[in-house]
Amino acid sequence: MSASGNKIHPLVRDLYKRAILVGRDYPHPRGLNYVREQWKRAIRENPASQFEAIQDPALREKAMRKAVGQGRYAIREMIGVIQLKKYRTMRRRY
Amino acid sequence: MKILVGVKRVVDYAVKVRVGADGAGVNLKNVKMSMNPFCEIAVEEAVKLKENKDAKVSEVIALSVGPKQCQETLRTALAMGCDRGIHITTDKRTDYMELQSDAIAKLFQKVIEEKEEGIDLVLVGKQAIDSDCGQVGPAVAGRMGWPQATFAAKVDLDGDGLLVERETDSGTETIKVNSLPAVVTCDLRLNTPRYATLPNIMKAKKKKVDTYKIEDFDVDLEPKNKILEVFEPPPRKEGILVDDVNTLIDKLRNEASVLQ
Repeated sequence: MSASGNKIHPLVRDLYKRAILVGRDYPHPRGLNYVREQWKRAIRENPASQFEAIQDPALREKAMRKAVGQGRYAIREMIGVIQLKKYRTMRRRY
Repeated sequence: MKILVGVKRVVDYAVKVRVGADGAGVNLKNVKMSMNPFCEIAVEEAVKLKENKDAKVSEVIALSVGPKQCQETLRTALAMGCDRGIHITTDKRTDYMELQSDAIAKLFQKVIEEKEEGIDLVLVGKQAIDSDCGQVGPAVAGRMGWPQATFAAKVDLDGDGLLVERETDSGTETIKVNSLPAVVTCDLRLNTPRYATLPNIMKAKKKKVDTYKIEDFDVDLEPKNKILEVFEPPPRKEGILVDDVNTLIDKLRNEASVLQ
């Protein structure tokens, strides 16, 4: 994901790693590949330039953290989907 | 209270299993494996008891029998909140083809009697989704001479024992386990297992996992039941479209024999 010279904020890298970890169990026919595509797209839609446009460094950091927070919320939603699918399948079977 | 939780590494619930080419069992090559869903529920219950101050749980130990990849399953259990892990290594298949419930129950007994003193509660899932035996819980209780509460949908502390709501086909039954130690097998509605997040997985790497070889235990591992044949269910026959209600009734009466 990071080409040399392309810097990623460590929080964003951590966010992506979390997403991929959860993505392994995500119930989609294409599984992990689907999750990876969606997440890369989402991260690319929030490029560093969007944050660098904000002059005040404190506000910039705040905006970044807000975006990462939204990402973490998305991960919690993914976990919810995984747990729900598992519960429903188990309930149907047993 | 010291809790022992059994966790089993099984074929992932979402995988469509196929019978192996040699017909000796389900094909396990390159197939996604994960923790048995009922075992996840057992781990969650153990961790919940640990988080409950009234339970005074000193330690939650996760036990798994299987190949070296069981370490991953144990790491997941540790990431969910267990304190220590025990891994009994073996290359025998644990999906009923080679190791069966009685061998596993004997191993549990050996661990409880020889390796871990003072186990007060054994929590396991009600059954494994690969072998579907549901025998290890009751077998361990029988061997240890301990009370058992199976298909637990709710577990509460009650004095020196437990109050367990059991889920049966005819409804919910509440039983009192008078004293510990005891065995409880966990059913689906007991709790919702937490997902192991990245920081917890990192923390779990520092937790201790003791490894023993299955041969180190003086246990007869021979399967008591012989597998004669493993085959896939016959494929579902195609449905037929009928043109009108009369044809439908006619078919239901004559071909499907569900109407008088």
